[in-house]
Amino acid sequence: MICRGFVVLEREMNSSFPRAIRSTISPSSLVFKRPKPPFFAALSRSISVSSMPTSPNPQIPLFLRPPKFSSTLSDLQKWQEWAKSIALSVGSKFVDIDNGPDTILLCRELKWLLEDAVEDKSTVPELGSAKNGRLVRLKADIEELYVLWKQRIEERRPFQYIVGCEHWRDLILSVQEGVLIPRPETELIVDLVGEVVLENKGLGDGIWADLGTGSGAIAIGIGRILGSGGKVIATDLSPVAASVAAYNVERYELQDKVEIRQGSWFEPLDDVKGALVGLVSNPPYIPSHLILGLQAEVGKHEPRLALDGGENGMDDLLHLCKGAALMLKPGGFFAFETNGEKQCEFLADFLTNKLETSFHNVKVVYDFAGIQRFVTGFHN
Amino acid sequence: MGNFIAMRRSTDGSLHLRNPAIRTYLVSLLFSSLSESHNKPPNISHLNSQPVIGSSFRVLQSFSRFSCSSFEVETIKKLACFHHFFVPPSGVHWFSSQAVIEPKTSDGLTVDNIVARRWTILDESESDWKSHAAAIAQSIQLIKKRLQWKKMVIRLEMLSAELNRSDLWDDPVHAGKISREHGSLMGKMKEVNGFEQELFEHIDMLKLAREENDGELESESIRALLRMRRSTKEKELQALLSGEQDSCSCFIEVQAGAGGTESMDWAAMVMQMYKSWAQHRGYGVTVVDEMPGEIAGIKRATIKLDGEYAFGYAKAEVGVHRLVRISPFDSGKRRHTSFAAVAVIPILGDVSSRFQINESDLRIERFRAGGAGGQHVNTTESAVRIVHIPTGVTATCQNERSQHQNKAMAMAVLQSRLDQLEMARQAQLNAQHTQSLTEISWGNQIRTYVLHPYQMVKDLRTNYEVSDPDSVLDGDLDSFILSFLSSSLDKDEDNL
Repeated sequence: MICRGFVVLEREMNSSFPRAIRSTISPSSLVFKRPKPPFFAALSRSISVSSMPTSPNPQIPLFLRPPKFSSTLSDLQKWQEWAKSIALSVGSKFVDIDNGPDTILLCRELKWLLEDAVEDKSTVPELGSAKNGRLVRLKADIEELYVLWKQRIEERRPFQYIVGCEHWRDLILSVQEGVLIPRPETELIVDLVGEVVLENKGLGDGIWADLGTGSGAIAIGIGRILGSGGKVIATDLSPVAASVAAYNVERYELQDKVEIRQGSWFEPLDDVKGALVGLVSNPPYIPSHLILGLQAEVGKHEPRLALDGGENGMDDLLHLCKGAALMLKPGGFFAFETNGEKQCEFLADFLTNKLETSFHNVKVVYDFAGIQRFVTGFHN
Repeated sequence: MGNFIAMRRSTDGSLHLRNPAIRTYLVSLLFSSLSESHNKPPNISHLNSQPVIGSSFRVLQSFSRFSCSSFEVETIKKLACFHHFFVPPSGVHWFSSQAVIEPKTSDGLTVDNIVARRWTILDESESDWKSHAAAIAQSIQLIKKRLQWKKMVIRLEMLSAELNRSDLWDDPVHAGKISREHGSLMGKMKEVNGFEQELFEHIDMLKLAREENDGELESESIRALLRMRRSTKEKELQALLSGEQDSCSCFIEVQAGAGGTESMDWAAMVMQMYKSWAQHRGYGVTVVDEMPGEIAGIKRATIKLDGEYAFGYAKAEVGVHRLVRISPFDSGKRRHTSFAAVAVIPILGDVSSRFQINESDLRIERFRAGGAGGQHVNTTESAVRIVHIPTGVTATCQNERSQHQNKAMAMAVLQSRLDQLEMARQAQLNAQHTQSLTEISWGNQIRTYVLHPYQMVKDLRTNYEVSDPDSVLDGDLDSFILSFLSSSLDKDEDNL
């Protein structure tokens, strides 16, 4: 039964998805033609949508767009000087307001924006000494570059939405409004999975699930370390996230390894109940009352659906912990990202002592900033 | 000398070779072996046959290139057997330092003799054999100096002794290391011995041609000497970069000295100088880590240079660089002196010789992290610092766009730093390597760049100077590097 359900879905994926993605490589998808950030938090979480994403077209990251614009080296340099001057004017203003980016960080982002926007990266160092009117090919119109940098500084639009991608682990993932930008901390989940797969080969050849996958980051990271029999099912309630995740999966040619299903948490996973060898998630975990005070890049631009974890931030984490016992095979592994020490300690205690079906080897793992970030363990 | 003539006559009678090239080899082969066995005490005479065996090989090689009769083949075979061509039948392979034996001409000339005779070295176009021979001998002597010949000989003896120990392979990693080093030293020394051998063959041949009034053979020998003169001249340069790590890629680190913005600006200028120099040389340049100054310049920065001999050249830049100019950051337009320190770390290619890092000895930290982290924060800052707890060595990388990549790059830097520490530790155990390695630490002031009141760049180690600082700061560093490399190896008389 389980197998059949999986195969059917996979066939649907293969037949309908690549077409949807190919059609998006059209020149019309410019970054500022973005949809309004959808706030799905208002929607009831229990809504279950059909298992296939009925997707809006995902946007193409700047660095992957065709270089069909051009500008003189000196015009580009003018833009760079202008952009640098407003970055310098920021100083530590944003740091003081909400721990946002400072001048140094913005200057580095500017360099990366330039690298993504020019056809040939080696022209970037020449900019300092540009004396001539030589043309450089660009992936965005110079006017658009002005608009983008203005958005970065004035609206605090996240840099990753500006360039349409985030470098995460050794991946470059497409991201856009409506999709949480994967965080550096979350990279560690893939390392944690890598360790358990190394110790127990059986785990590398089973079915994994990444719930609330967003851009598909964790699912793709895991998909690349599993054995030939391993698979990842990645779910997300948001249709934008599901389509962006599918786009990223396709870019890394992992369609056979990673399957995207649209829906809330475990709902699209009925066919694999009790059959998962692994379950991972970076669910929303910020307590609702803190959302308003978030750094502008996060609070004003990233999807609340992916951030707001309810009154104490643990609504979804608790839902996942309870479901984990039903979904995982005996011996199956789980890893969840949390808000920090409080949530970690609560969940570790909950998983070890409060649930009827207990877990063993429940551990709290620190991130590189020294914060207790993850809860991991095995199903008995 | 009497022996020499007698033998020449007798061999003359039995060898009728049509091909002059083969004749050259065979004749010189006989001469050198005969004269050696007469000059040296009998108990080490079998060692002396080593270079001869080398030339027997060459006879066989040249044989395959030139056609000759079956009679000639027979002769060559006999000669080969006569000179212990085959490994002794005991089956035990003894490692030795045989390459050390000094080749001579049939009448006992050595490279040192030739140099000592101070034959006038004329222009290449003058076809004077003594001039060519003197130039070649001088080149060979310089190559030996640059290779630190004396140290090589001692080292080779040590390695040979080590390799002959019966418990060697109890530690296979160590054994592998020793035998690789032995092999590489032997290779270098045999190459030089090959040059000497070749030189003497040409000289012997030339003398023979003169005695026999064979004008054609004589001018052929002179042409051969000229070719050799040119090729050994080229080898001189290569010998400058014969250190164990010279061929490696490397990291270059620049750190601003005390003095605020002015010296941070100077550090940025120095870093820019290396970036341009590396690009001119065709090396791949990656910025690993950069701590910008508050107003201008850099506090410190690390770049990675990818390419052959990056370390060999860049190591000449280690030390403190001093700038004198009117500071653009001083409203009073006063003259300032600033300093920037440069360190260069090789990236070892040989994985087995690298320092073994124990995962549990590492502390990996998010650099400049603050606040709640996770979903609360959106930042493109993902710098990572890795601390190797037992040694306290740290490495930071912040220029990559993901934490994962920053961590990988910081690990690479850390690995190279630990490798360098390990090398320094080994060098203390190995006295003869110490000198070259202590040069690779943060050193003393090596060069001064004066932009005002006059213009000059002067290397304090070699006294080499130029009056055009702009071109140097634009990366025109090769002459400084080469003059340092040659002076540091050539002036040291102990190297020969």
